[in-house]
Amino acid sequence: MRKAWMALLAWTLALALAQTRGGELRVAVLAEPPVLDPSASTSQEIPRMLYDNVLQGLVKLNEKGEIVPALAERWEGSPSSLTWTFHLRKGVRFHNGAPFTAEDVLFKFNRARDPRSGHTHPEYYRDIQSVEAKDPYTVVFRLRQPDQDFLFNLARPDSVIGPKGRVEEQKTQPIGTGPFRFVAWERGVGVRLERFEGYYEPGLPYLDRVFFRFLPDPNAQIAALRAGDIHVIGLGVSPEAALTLGRDPAFKVVSGTTTTEITVGMNNARPPFNDPRVRRAIQHAVDKKELIQGVMLGFGTPIGSHRSPGERCYEDLSGLYPYDPARARALLEAAGYGPGNPLRFTFTLAAPYPYERRLGEAIAAKLAGIGIQARLEVVEWATWLSRVFRGADYQMTIIGHSEPHDIGVYANPGYYFRYDSPRFRELYAQYLRTPDPNRACELMKAMQRLLAEDAVNLWVMNAPYIAAMRREVMGWWQNQPTPSLNVTRVYLAR
Amino acid sequence: MAAYALRRLLLALGTLWLAGSLVFLTLLLLPGDPVQAILGLEASPEARAALERALGLDRPPLPRYLDWLWGLLRLDLGESIRYGKPVGELLEERLPLTLALVGLGLSGALLLALPLALLALRSPPLDLLLSGLMAFLQSLPTFFLGVVLLYAFAVHLPLLPASGFPGWERPLEALRHLLLPALTLALARAAILFRMARGSLLEVLSQDYIRTARAKGVPEGRVLLKHALKPASLPLVTLLGLEGGFLLTGAVVVEAVFALPGLGSLALTALEARDYPLLQGLVVAMAALIVLFNLAVDLLYGLLDPRIEYA
Repeated sequence: MRKAWMALLAWTLALALAQTRGGELRVAVLAEPPVLDPSASTSQEIPRMLYDNVLQGLVKLNEKGEIVPALAERWEGSPSSLTWTFHLRKGVRFHNGAPFTAEDVLFKFNRARDPRSGHTHPEYYRDIQSVEAKDPYTVVFRLRQPDQDFLFNLARPDSVIGPKGRVEEQKTQPIGTGPFRFVAWERGVGVRLERFEGYYEPGLPYLDRVFFRFLPDPNAQIAALRAGDIHVIGLGVSPEAALTLGRDPAFKVVSGTTTTEITVGMNNARPPFNDPRVRRAIQHAVDKKELIQGVMLGFGTPIGSHRSPGERCYEDLSGLYPYDPARARALLEAAGYGPGNPLRFTFTLAAPYPYERRLGEAIAAKLAGIGIQARLEVVEWATWLSRVFRGADYQMTIIGHSEPHDIGVYANPGYYFRYDSPRFRELYAQYLRTPDPNRACELMKAMQRLLAEDAVNLWVMNAPYIAAMRREVMGWWQNQPTPSLNVTRVYLAR
Repeated sequence: MAAYALRRLLLALGTLWLAGSLVFLTLLLLPGDPVQAILGLEASPEARAALERALGLDRPPLPRYLDWLWGLLRLDLGESIRYGKPVGELLEERLPLTLALVGLGLSGALLLALPLALLALRSPPLDLLLSGLMAFLQSLPTFFLGVVLLYAFAVHLPLLPASGFPGWERPLEALRHLLLPALTLALARAAILFRMARGSLLEVLSQDYIRTARAKGVPEGRVLLKHALKPASLPLVTLLGLEGGFLLTGAVVVEAVFALPGLGSLALTALEARDYPLLQGLVVAMAALIVLFNLAVDLLYGLLDPRIEYA
């Protein structure tokens, strides 16, 4: 009897396995990246398609945002946090067949920490004094000073490792160690990946092929999903579309958290927002819950500082400035604005971002309710980048800051918020240098509080991650602790 | 004839030079730069400087312009910043699709407009109906029309693919992907052609020689096709000359809606990325297409009306 049961079990398992393996998954992404190497451009589209799918680093972030082993099997830090030893996984091969060894790690990080190499973020690696190979499978990093973010930085897309000596080729023909190998980048059309037979994790991945299609138009995306041209809209599904698709039994909607803080940026160096009373008045004048309900149909979580609820050491400050128009008016009056002399400024919205634009319009309408005259100005993305982001030539703007764990931008007074606070810089330096994780967490929370108390910006909400897909797509990441449409464990149930 | 051809050629070259230079100037004045577009938001100043040097963007505009001009003379449009490929190569890849789309759209528009115009003249109630329908079509924005067709033919009656392009290796499959976009373009342009055709047919039909033909007992269908259509198509051809430009701009919108990798979507990418060489090359190429199209129309004119001379 037991034998029969066992046979049945084995049979079902085999059947289940047969049903879940193979096939091509077609995923729509919004935009085409400029290159395919995350260390050559900070475009988030690159890791969305390639992080952990094709390219891997020593460590990686999993769906919960935890740092887990990738090319390093395990690692240890010295008590002073100055020396980190990584034990590399043995028997790993790159997609071109070359073995992965300590040499590749050395090449990567010696290039990364050289500010002249053109690596996009040399500052992540500034604290690395040396990288040495003890043997082909052991690498030792020595730091100049303790760096609380060291491990996190190694998990960033910027830290992925390619074969030694390849730099230019990685931009268009990326070679990595991930479960999928890059096949083709059809310009203007999409990126094709194929199952890598030599992947080190047995049984992975489940799919044979993945096709990331560039579909910039949201209407075209939804039509393509409904027509069966694609299986998944990888991100940026509008709340209305999510509601309608969610009601249709052929589709399902996945909604989770991101690392994107939708931020109403205020130029802290320029009138009228160089006056903290004005900035605080803005906080009291906006009801975040109502905004999220009205504009986002309930998708999104209110936040009160520059950190997302899914990130570690998050402090919920969304209640610090309750919605209170009377208090907002009083603050404005104290700053010299009133019915006779209303607060006027230009509110710059970036054209390509629909959430932000709609939120911006709703906020302007809300502000008008207490006599604030925000003149809306919609600019194209390249214009926004050069005028607002690089030139800080703006008064108020709104944009999603999607980079994970990026509170450090407030320690840079040249950053476009023009927030200049010695106290914040001091806290940030302490945070980076402390070897004690608990102390680091306290400091992280103190930084969030300081930003909120100074009312540097108005942080509206954590942007929701909304993806829509055909019913049969299984194993899709619900949250985006880092921009990644991770398809390692995705399969098509048939 | 030779003098005419030479003048046209010089005019065409002048147009191309002017178009390219205007783009160059506009891009200088337009905020935004390609380096930021490639590196993204948070790139370090060191990375910016390195890329600027690599792309030659640290040089002043005048030498860059002269370089471009010298390249243009040698038919070398430079290298795309965004794609790191010669602009000419990119144009070659994308041109066939746009040409096919515009060609299909134009012939579709004519095939719709002419018979409908002839039909409209046969019966007043039908005329009213068709004129109303065409006025409605003309008032619809192309992107909206595209989305409506997309939902009708690709989603609700899944007859045709919704978007994308499989490449020319499988011509039938490629044609299937082009049908909906071409239909969108055709419907959008048919309206104006219909009105023009109907108007000029009406005018021709009031002429004496038509009355003579009818009086002689020539059947009405023959009157329309043989005696009226040819003279009535002259203004239509003039209109076609203008339509060339509209079709190309319409193609930009249609390519965006149906995610087709043609010149239009390339132009959008180039603009977003502030890809100077690519955008200049595209404008020159599109201007060349329009010039060629107008030339073809002018020659067609002579065929239709022997009284027209080239001097």
